[in-house]
Amino acid sequence: MSLTYVDRLLYFWFKMSAGPYNYSYIFKYIIIGDMGVGKSCLLHQFTEKKFMADCPHTIGVEFGTRIIEVAGQKIKLQIWDTAGQERFRAVTRSYYRGAAGALMVYDITRRSTYNHLSSWLTDARNLTNPNTVIFLIGNKADLDAQRDVTYDEAKQFAEENGLMFVEASAKTGENVEEAFLETAKKIYQNIQDGSLDLNAAESGVQHKPTQPGRTNLNNDSQTNRDNCSC
Amino acid sequence: MELTPHVQEKLHAGHKLTAVVEAGLVQDFIKNTRVVALIEVASTHVKQGGEQALLIFQTARVPVHSAIDLSIEQVIAVDTNLKCEIDTSSLDVDTDVLVNITSGKVRLLFEMPFSQRTNAFVSEILRAAEVVSKRRGPPPEFAWLQPYQKSSTSSQDPASPGSAPTTADTLDGLGGDAVSLGDVSVDICQNLSSTYPDPANCNTENSSVHTENERSPDLGVNRHSIATGLSPTPIAARESHIRYQMAMREDAYTDIQEFTVFVGTWNVNGRSPTVGLAEWLAVDAEPPDVYAIGFQELDLNTEAFLFNNSPKEQEWLNAVLNGIHPKTKYRKVRLVRLVGMMLIVLVQEKHLAYVRNCAIDTVGTGIMNKMGNKGAVSVRLDLHNTSICFVNAHLAAHQEELERRNEDHDCIFQRTCFHLNITSNSPPKTIKDHEHIYFLGDMNYRINPCDMNIREVASSGEFKLLLQHEQLTQQKNAKRIFHKFKEGNILFKPTFKYDVDSDEWDSSEKARQPAWCDRILWYGDSITQLEYRSHPQLQISDHKPVSAIFMAGIKVVDTRRYRRIYEEVMKKLDKLENEFLPQVTIDTTEIILEPVKFYQSQTKYLTIANTGQVPVQFEFIKKLNDVTYCKPWLSIRPYSNFITPGEKCDVSLEVLVDKQTAAQLNSGVDQLYDILVLHLEGGKDLFITITGDYERSCFGSSINALVHMNKPFRDVPVAKLIDLESKQPKELSEMPYAVPKELWYLVDHLHSHGLQVKGLFTHPGLQKEIFEIRTCLDEGVEHQVLPGSVHSVAEALLLFIEALPEPVIPYSLYQAALDATPNFSLCKEVINKLPDYHRNVFEYLMAFLKELLNHAEDNTLDANTLAHVFGSVLIRESSAVAGSSDRRNQNQAIERKKQTFVHHFLMND
Repeated sequence: MSLTYVDRLLYFWFKMSAGPYNYSYIFKYIIIGDMGVGKSCLLHQFTEKKFMADCPHTIGVEFGTRIIEVAGQKIKLQIWDTAGQERFRAVTRSYYRGAAGALMVYDITRRSTYNHLSSWLTDARNLTNPNTVIFLIGNKADLDAQRDVTYDEAKQFAEENGLMFVEASAKTGENVEEAFLETAKKIYQNIQDGSLDLNAAESGVQHKPTQPGRTNLNNDSQTNRDNCSC
Repeated sequence: MELTPHVQEKLHAGHKLTAVVEAGLVQDFIKNTRVVALIEVASTHVKQGGEQALLIFQTARVPVHSAIDLSIEQVIAVDTNLKCEIDTSSLDVDTDVLVNITSGKVRLLFEMPFSQRTNAFVSEILRAAEVVSKRRGPPPEFAWLQPYQKSSTSSQDPASPGSAPTTADTLDGLGGDAVSLGDVSVDICQNLSSTYPDPANCNTENSSVHTENERSPDLGVNRHSIATGLSPTPIAARESHIRYQMAMREDAYTDIQEFTVFVGTWNVNGRSPTVGLAEWLAVDAEPPDVYAIGFQELDLNTEAFLFNNSPKEQEWLNAVLNGIHPKTKYRKVRLVRLVGMMLIVLVQEKHLAYVRNCAIDTVGTGIMNKMGNKGAVSVRLDLHNTSICFVNAHLAAHQEELERRNEDHDCIFQRTCFHLNITSNSPPKTIKDHEHIYFLGDMNYRINPCDMNIREVASSGEFKLLLQHEQLTQQKNAKRIFHKFKEGNILFKPTFKYDVDSDEWDSSEKARQPAWCDRILWYGDSITQLEYRSHPQLQISDHKPVSAIFMAGIKVVDTRRYRRIYEEVMKKLDKLENEFLPQVTIDTTEIILEPVKFYQSQTKYLTIANTGQVPVQFEFIKKLNDVTYCKPWLSIRPYSNFITPGEKCDVSLEVLVDKQTAAQLNSGVDQLYDILVLHLEGGKDLFITITGDYERSCFGSSINALVHMNKPFRDVPVAKLIDLESKQPKELSEMPYAVPKELWYLVDHLHSHGLQVKGLFTHPGLQKEIFEIRTCLDEGVEHQVLPGSVHSVAEALLLFIEALPEPVIPYSLYQAALDATPNFSLCKEVINKLPDYHRNVFEYLMAFLKELLNHAEDNTLDANTLAHVFGSVLIRESSAVAGSSDRRNQNQAIERKKQTFVHHFLMND
C-alpha cells in the first residue's frame, strides 16, 4: 500500500527538484576521425561508463543514445559513431547530414591522425550545416609518455578553426563526459540565442514540446469516487 | 483476439468473469505479456455478495489460442487494500497507459494499450474496489479463491515474507504444460527480486558492481521465451519508470529521522478562549516539530452554521499561537474550518521548506450530508518524503446514535478528497493514500450502560473496567471502524461531560454520563505514541482537551544519495535503451568473389543473425548520391526482412555480369567493388564490402576495340583494353581487322558446320558450352575450331552481338533505322551512315544470313525468323531511353520495325 503514495510523492518531489524529466530535445551527433583513434571507445565510455579494451574496428556506423541535462532541460543525444577506415569514407559521408554536433577525434600518440584533421574538418564543414558544433578531441590522453602531438599545437589548430577542444581518455573517462556535454551546451546555447533554426531540416535538433497529459481515464476514477453516497 | 472464452474455461463453477484484458507486466525494465481477469463469485457461494478478485495469468502463447496456454500466476483479492491507479503523467499519447495494481506489498505495474477496453477494465476494478469499500460488517474472507491458490504457502514476494496478505500469494502454474512453464516462473522470480532491490545492496558505494549483479538475470535472452514468441519487449514510458524505479529504491536514499508530532483536540463548546492554552499545548519540555490542533464546537452560532463565517476562528488561532511552545518559532501550514470544526497545522520554522503539497478538505455529515455541524476537516501534507494526513472529526452525538457515528466515520473516509493543484494530472488523494494518518476529534462514542456506576468508576481511575463497555473501543475491535488504526492506552479520566469552569461531572437535568468523546488515533508504521493525556486544568468547556505526542519516523531524502541513485537509474535506462537497440551479427563484412566471368553468375551468402533483444527489421540502403542500394551487377535477396531475436536470415548476393554491365567493367568505368550499407531500423548500420576480379571478355567489348586486337583477347594487357575502349584510343593497331576476329570465328564456324543444321538460331544452345566458347574466343581459337554444338555457337554469336556496348546500328541511328523501315533505300542510307567497322559487321552478317537462307531447305530457316532474331540484337534502344517510360505497348510495333529493317537486306540486294 505504501509504495503507491511513495511513488506519487516522489513524483512531486521530483517535479519540484528536477523539473519535468521528459526530454525536450533530441540532438544528433556524429563522431569522426581516423581509424583507431578511439571513436567507439569514447561512445562506449559515454553511454556505458566503461572502457572497451579490445574494441573491434567499426565496420559501419554504430548508434548510441543517452539522456543528459543542460540548463534543466532533458536532452536525448543520438550519437552516430562512424567507421574510420579510409575505404569507408565515401559511405560515412552520408551520415554527416543533419548532425547538430560533430566530435572530431585524433589520437595524441599518432601524428598521422592529427595531420588528417584538416581533411575531416573539410568534410564536416561541407556536409553539415553552418551551425553544427564541431568539437575536437585528442584521445588517449592517458598515454602521455607516447605523446606525438602536443596539447598546444592542437589547441592552436582548434582556435584557428573555431573548434572547441579537449584532450580526453576513453580509457580513464577523463574529459569524455565534458566533451559530449560541452557540445550539447553549445548547441543549446545556439538554440537559445536563435542562431540555430530548429525548423531547418538539417539542424540536427528535434524539439519535443511537452503535451498536456491525458486525463480521461483518470476522470473516470474521479467520478466513481464522487458518486459515493453515505 | 477473444480472450473471454479461454479465461472462462479456467474458472471454477459459480465464478463469473467480469472483465479481461491483455497487458504487459512490467518487471524491472522489461514487460512480459499477462492476461488479467477480474472475476466475481456468485452471491450464493458466500455470505455477502460482490466478492471479486483479480487473476493474473501467464500465457504460453500470444495471442492466446486456448485455455491451456494460460496458467495462474497470482491471485489478488479485491479487498480494501487493493488499489488501482492509472499513471496519467505519461505525456506521450501514443504510448501505453501504466496501470498500478497494489495490494499490500504486492505491487504490479502493467502497460496496457490506450484503448476503450483498458478504460472499461480499469473502471470495472475501480467499481469492484468501491463495492468493497462500502461494504458493512466483517471483511470478506475470500475462501472461494482457495481453488486458484493451489499451494497456499508463504508469499514468494521476497520483500515481505509473511507480511503480505494471504490472498496475494504468488502461485505455481496451474495445470497446463508444467515443464515448459518452469523456465518462465524462474525468470519471474528473478525479475521480482530485482524489482524489490535489497536496500542493503543499494547502500553500497560501489554502485556499478551492484548494477551488474542485478542486471544479469533478466538480460539473458530466455530460450523458452524466444521459442514461444514471448520474448520481453522494452518498456515504453520511460519517465514513469524512472519514477517507479526511484520509488522502489526509496530506502536507499532516504534516512528515517524522528520528528515529534503534537496532536491535540478540544471541543470548546462555543466558548471564547478566555484562558491561555499553554497548559494544553506547551506542557512538554521540548517543543514538538509539528502541531496539529483540532477544535470542535468552536462556534455554536446560527451565523456560523449557515454561512460558515465566524469571528471565533481568529480568536482561537491567536490563542493557539500564544499558547504553543515558546522555545522555538512555528509557522502555520494550513488552517481549515467548517462551522465549528477547525484544524490548525503548524511546523517549526526550520521545517517549513520541507513541507510540500499541502491540501485541505472538509466533509459535512450533518443534515442532508451537507451541513457542517458534524463531519471532518482535514489537512494533508508531505513532510520531507513522508505523506501525512490530519483529520479532525466531530461525529454524531448522543448515547444511542452509535450507528450514525459509524456512518459518519465511513463517510469521512470515503468523501475526504484532496486535490493537489501542483499538476492537473495527478489523481486526487483520499485519507488512506497517506503513510501517516492522525485521526483526532470529538468522536462522541459513549460508554454503554452497564452494571457499574459509570461516574464513580470514571472518577476512581479504574478505566480498564469502563473501557470494556466503551463504544469506540468495541467498534474498533469488531473491525467496524478505524481498521488498522491504533490508539494508545487511555490513562485519563473521561473528558466529557463536565460542568463548565469546573471538574465536576455534568450536573444539568440531562446528567450526561461521562465518556471518552475526545480521542486521537493514528495509522502508520513508524509512529510511536509517547503521551496520551487530557488537560483537566482547562475548564472553560464541558469537554477537557486531549493531546498526544508522537515520535514519527519521517523519510528524509539524502540529496547526495538521491542524486547518485537517480543517476544510476538513468544510466541503467540509458544502458537498457542501448541494449534494446537492434543488434545483429553478420558472418562476414568482406565478401570476396571468385573471378567473375561474363554471363556466369556467382552467388555468395551472408548470414544475418539477430543477437539482440528486440526484433530487427533490416534493409540494404542507398548511399549518399546513389540511385540504388547496390551496383547493377549485384542482386540481393532479400534486400529487406524481419528477424526475431535469436533467429537468422540468409541473404543471397548474386553477381552477374551481363551484357548491360560488362561494357562498364571492360572499360574500367566500373569495378567489381561495392560497399553495401545494411541498415537496422532504429539502430546502427553495418558496411559489407564486396570485391572481386572481373575476367574481361571480348563479350561486352566494342567492335572498334576488338578490330584493333591482333592477339587473343586474354593476351591484351588491361591498360591497352581500357585505352581501346576509351573515346580516343592512343594506340591503335596498324592493321585492324575488317570485323572483330571473334565474330569471324563464330560466323566461320557456323558457315562450316551449321548451314545445313535444322533449327539453327531457333534451337537453344547449352549454357556450359556457351561459357566454353566464350573462354575459347578470349584465349585464342586453335585450329579454327570452337567447342560445343552449332546451336551453342549460334547463341554465342547472338550474345556477342547483343553484348556490344554500342550496337551494330549505333544508338545515335536507332530512331533513324526505325523510321527508315518502310523503304529499303532509306534503310541503305542508314547503313551508309554507320561507322566503318559497324558497317563491315552489318554487311558481313547479312551476307552470312543470306547464305543461310540459301540452305533453307536443310536448315528450314526463313527470312522472317532470321530478320526477327537479328533485328532485335542489331538494333537496340539505349537502356537509358528504354527504362524511361513504359513502352510495353509499343514494343511489338518496334520489334516488327526492327525485323522489317533486317528483312529488307535479306530479300534485296
